[in-house]
Amino acid sequence: MSMSAQTVAQKIIARAAGRGAVEAGEYVTVTPDYTCCQELFWPGHKRNLERIGVDRIPRPDKAVMVIDHSTAAAMGSHHHETHRTLRDWCERQGIENFFGPGNGLRHQVLTERGFARPGTLIFSDEGNIASIGALGALNIPISTEVLVSLIQDENWLAVPPSARITLTGGLGFGVTARDVIQTILRDATPDGRLLQCCVEFDGPGLVELSLDDRQTLLASLFHSGAYTGVMEPDALALAYVAARAAGRPWHVVKADPGADYAARLTYDLGAIAPLVTVPPDAHGAVPVAEVAGTRIDQASIGSCAGGRLDDLRAAARILRGRRIASHVTLYVTPGSRGIYAEAAREGLLEILAEAGAAILAPGCTTCWGYQGVLNDGEVSISTQQFNYQGRNGSRSAHVFLGGPYVVAASAVAGRIVDPRPMLAEAGAA
Amino acid sequence: MTGHATPRGRVWRFGNDVSGDDGIIEFAIIREGFGKAFDEDALRAMCFRRLRPEFPSEVRPGDIVVGGTNFAHHNHVEVSVAIRASGIAAVVVESCEAGFVRRALNTGLPVMICPGIAAAVADGEVIEADPAAGEVRLPSGRVLRARPFSERMVEIWRAGGVIPLLEREFAMRRAASD
Repeated sequence: MSMSAQTVAQKIIARAAGRGAVEAGEYVTVTPDYTCCQELFWPGHKRNLERIGVDRIPRPDKAVMVIDHSTAAAMGSHHHETHRTLRDWCERQGIENFFGPGNGLRHQVLTERGFARPGTLIFSDEGNIASIGALGALNIPISTEVLVSLIQDENWLAVPPSARITLTGGLGFGVTARDVIQTILRDATPDGRLLQCCVEFDGPGLVELSLDDRQTLLASLFHSGAYTGVMEPDALALAYVAARAAGRPWHVVKADPGADYAARLTYDLGAIAPLVTVPPDAHGAVPVAEVAGTRIDQASIGSCAGGRLDDLRAAARILRGRRIASHVTLYVTPGSRGIYAEAAREGLLEILAEAGAAILAPGCTTCWGYQGVLNDGEVSISTQQFNYQGRNGSRSAHVFLGGPYVVAASAVAGRIVDPRPMLAEAGAA
Repeated sequence: MTGHATPRGRVWRFGNDVSGDDGIIEFAIIREGFGKAFDEDALRAMCFRRLRPEFPSEVRPGDIVVGGTNFAHHNHVEVSVAIRASGIAAVVVESCEAGFVRRALNTGLPVMICPGIAAAVADGEVIEADPAAGEVRLPSGRVLRARPFSERMVEIWRAGGVIPLLEREFAMRRAASD
């Protein structure tokens, strides 16, 4: 085996493969620390389990099963049946890590409940769960193949090449982590330089970002075609993990000097301004001034891209003492039960409710059009992940994306606006 | 069922940055069916129709899709099911995200990443795509290289997908323990 310098992803994968080292591009079979699965495709998984003839899964303790896409068993949907059969199956299998409606996003269940720990490898069904990389855990998205990992306690993967993004400086006034990832997607998506990569973030700018902000960067990375992302855990991340690990082990993994990176990018956070991503591409970010004035019908704050406590705090900073425009519907979805409770303790929910927001139960909600369905020609601005046509209802609706300041300020104005004047006023008050 | 022999077929050529959910298929329609069995007829009827309206009616079993860079970005598994249900034997792309390769393979559809393919073939030409060897053979006799599938990937492909393969393996395991 080659003894070449290893990236973070290579080291985590090597450990899960029972190997000393692995090479980028190599196919290996790994045993995960956990497999995390949502409910939406559960009926299909259940049919396949029956077809294959699986009676018991080998490691029920490694399964983390979360109902986050269809948080309410709503009238007119078949999801109430899914909730029942998933809950029953977990009970029969002895899966204790079942999280029903209202617990929130898999991303948050994994971090807040101590599953995502430094050096762990987690098979999941979505690329945006790379957010757990903020704690040094590696998300390997395998879509509906989570079934394979659940029933075999192992699966194959191609070791991804790694890329490195170095952040310097600090965020300017009215700028959020969402603006940073919008900038990265705008720059790095068209030429495919992050395609299939595990992206490692580092640099003095990263240390200045909150854990929520770091998760925001990682959660939207997959739009560039990147496979996953990870950060070497610092003191802030390790303190967060230590408070939740409950005796479960972790392994802090750092890249070797001289490890090979397919791409290297550097961003000065201080040079980034508020952006809005215009439909239908996730990399279509423009300065907010370019689309300012666009009338909106709906605004939403939530999802794995923008529903954490810092996002709600940012929204509340804008919305305190203000009312949303009368023609706008504003949905706010705390990303998890923990975020919901903390937002209540901090008084954020009161501010949001008094400003006119409809506060939804933790989960994916508006991000996949389960709630907040758009009609023909309607315009929305959201902190959610997606802006392609038809994602939120009508194909002729338009979804703009932005950070929580932009979305909250736009809800107040009834049209897309630069949030900085409102924010400056709020700060002065 | 395609997928057993080495795919050799007529090329349907597509461009760069083709969206999976909002291009090859239509998310607004498939979303309603999440969790239900795939409606293959509906998926076939919408497959590529926005880009090539004649595709659903004129595609033939064994045809090959050739795509450009970042092909099928943002793809739910229904994208792969739609292409496979249309009879496509292989997809050869300039580049795509890793998840598309996995999702497609699990439905029995091989996706080969083959830099140079977009400039090398024209619509309607007949090419051979060999995932096991990692080779794409052009009418001129020229051979383009792709990363060969691993042994396990070839097994999944030849079984027509990961579920049929696991079904067979578990049946053999049960038979062996009887």
